[in-house]
Amino acid sequence: MDTLVNVAHGFGVALLPVNLLYCFIGVFIGTLVGVLPGIGPISAMSLLLPVTLSGTPESGIIMMAGIYYGSMYGGSTTSILVNIPGEAASVVTCIDGHQMAKQGRAGPALGISAFGSFIAGTFSLVALMLVAPKLASVAIAFGPAEYFSLMVLGLVVLTFLTQGSMPKALLMACIGVVLGLIGLDSITAQPRLTFGRMELIDGIGLVPVVMGLFGVAEVLLNTEQAIKRDIINTKITHLLPTKEDWKASAGPVGRGTILGFFLGILPGGGAVVASFASYALEKRLSKTPERFGHGAIEGVAGPESANNAAAGGAFIPLMTLGIPPNVVMALLLGAFVIHGLQPGPLMITQNPGLFWGIVASMYIGNLMLLVLNLPMIGMWVQLLKLPYNILFPLIILFTILGVYCSSNNVFDVYVMIAFGIIGYFMRKLGYEPAPLVLAFVLGPMMENNLRKSLILSQGDLWTFVQRPISAVCLAFAMALLIAPLLPALRKKRELVALDEGA
Amino acid sequence: MNDQANVKLRLSNSELWGGVIGLALGGFVIWSGLKLKLGSINDPGSGYVLFYTGILMCVFAGSIIVSAITEGGPTLASRLENVRWSKPLLLIACLVAFSVALEPLGFLLSSMPLMLLLLRLIDPVRWLLAIPIAVLVPMGMWWALKRLLLIQLPSGLFGIG
Repeated sequence: MDTLVNVAHGFGVALLPVNLLYCFIGVFIGTLVGVLPGIGPISAMSLLLPVTLSGTPESGIIMMAGIYYGSMYGGSTTSILVNIPGEAASVVTCIDGHQMAKQGRAGPALGISAFGSFIAGTFSLVALMLVAPKLASVAIAFGPAEYFSLMVLGLVVLTFLTQGSMPKALLMACIGVVLGLIGLDSITAQPRLTFGRMELIDGIGLVPVVMGLFGVAEVLLNTEQAIKRDIINTKITHLLPTKEDWKASAGPVGRGTILGFFLGILPGGGAVVASFASYALEKRLSKTPERFGHGAIEGVAGPESANNAAAGGAFIPLMTLGIPPNVVMALLLGAFVIHGLQPGPLMITQNPGLFWGIVASMYIGNLMLLVLNLPMIGMWVQLLKLPYNILFPLIILFTILGVYCSSNNVFDVYVMIAFGIIGYFMRKLGYEPAPLVLAFVLGPMMENNLRKSLILSQGDLWTFVQRPISAVCLAFAMALLIAPLLPALRKKRELVALDEGA
Repeated sequence: MNDQANVKLRLSNSELWGGVIGLALGGFVIWSGLKLKLGSINDPGSGYVLFYTGILMCVFAGSIIVSAITEGGPTLASRLENVRWSKPLLLIACLVAFSVALEPLGFLLSSMPLMLLLLRLIDPVRWLLAIPIAVLVPMGMWWALKRLLLIQLPSGLFGIG
């Protein structure tokens, strides 16, 4: 009953005209960046982070969330029609989606992808509503040791799932922690690694770091090669899947939804992992696995449902524990902090309008996305024809302005350019930026919780092992760190290793 | 990239260089942590976490170096094979020039040449299209930010913008 009252309250907030407008802008931009290869939700969210300042916290967060789950919808369009993933979570959709399009079945591929996404998105929201308040009430009992161990686990999971060698990913995570510690020490107020520059006293901003590593570096990488596009030019018809399509897709949608939701909750997990895991699962369960890679609708329905369910699930650790499970959620945490809000166990009780308003807006956003992605598909197809030689300079200018507007400080523009160049060379040498960014956000929180737990336990390191939740998290983290040393597990890791960046 | 160009104990091994840079950074972080004072385990100081993170960095960088020596790695040159490496370098040069010019020239006078250069250098857009985009887009953005969002952009020594 309480939940229904809360949902009604949430809809009261989400249906305010201004929030509806922000929700629409969010899902529209999300679809746009999902459709356009080379710019992903991370770049778009960091670009629009300063814009959230102009409205209420509800409006800003609703828009940012809309960009995230909107990009999951839009990404499939490019994968199916052009065979280039619009964003990382749609990589796997290219395999069968584009084959379907080549066989003249672009309509059903786009249709099942939109309906699967809608079903998964709706399920994950219901689950979010039911799970989040319960988890928040448990999380109140968490102490600094639990928080520290959970964050360690999140970072280790992300480094485990990142493409390339694990020592490289761990090195990136350490560099992220160090960068996050630049500025005044939160306990002693002593400046650290500021090199005498006043601009660094408050630390390095999240926006310039992310815009540099993901926005500028992505453009630099894209300019290396002339991007060839093989757009399906036939008219897209039969967007509504047939009875046979539904019969084949029902199982993959259901399994993808549940799998995606749970993988989304896991720290370090997310939409990319979920889509790959769902594809692998469907292929394994199929009686005719040889059809995969040649236009099997299950290969579109499962991963597309999984990535949307994961997008919803990823809100749970952020909203209930205040821990972002992936880089996108780290940016959302940045949006909360900009508005002076701290997501965590107390947020749902202290700020119910915000929490339930965001959840309700996601229902509305999912409906908007269904309309945006089915009847209006022609518009997005036209957009795919926008030349990159015009798009990339515009992205660069937008990132410069986005960074400047976030702080009104030219120094941040320099920081962004520096991180853009560093990010480009990092990727050339096979170092992924995702662990660095997540560690950059978690670093100060980790340090704070580590020091607090050491002070509280009077220097007894056993405190991390004696507390059950902390011990379980550390045991998992340890297992994942040891796993790549075993040849069989190393092979498995290489199979699931992903590029979280795009 | 041609990963076949695998070299072990050579200066051209890119993995080796990655590890060496990581090791140097780790050393610097350890030194910074020591300088900031470690404190004790009962009461960790400002440099405590930095110091131990630096040690971890050195361990991971060491592991990268060892694997670069034992398993080898692609050469620096092979990382740039089959790519138009001059394009990102030009883009980097443009961005560095822009960052130098931004404060003295202001947003409008520095972003218009930047846009024109980017439009002409990456995959050349014809002049008839490039010039209007390079002029109108920064002006439109400047107008929207200054008039609608009331955000003051740098106007430079000439006070333009």
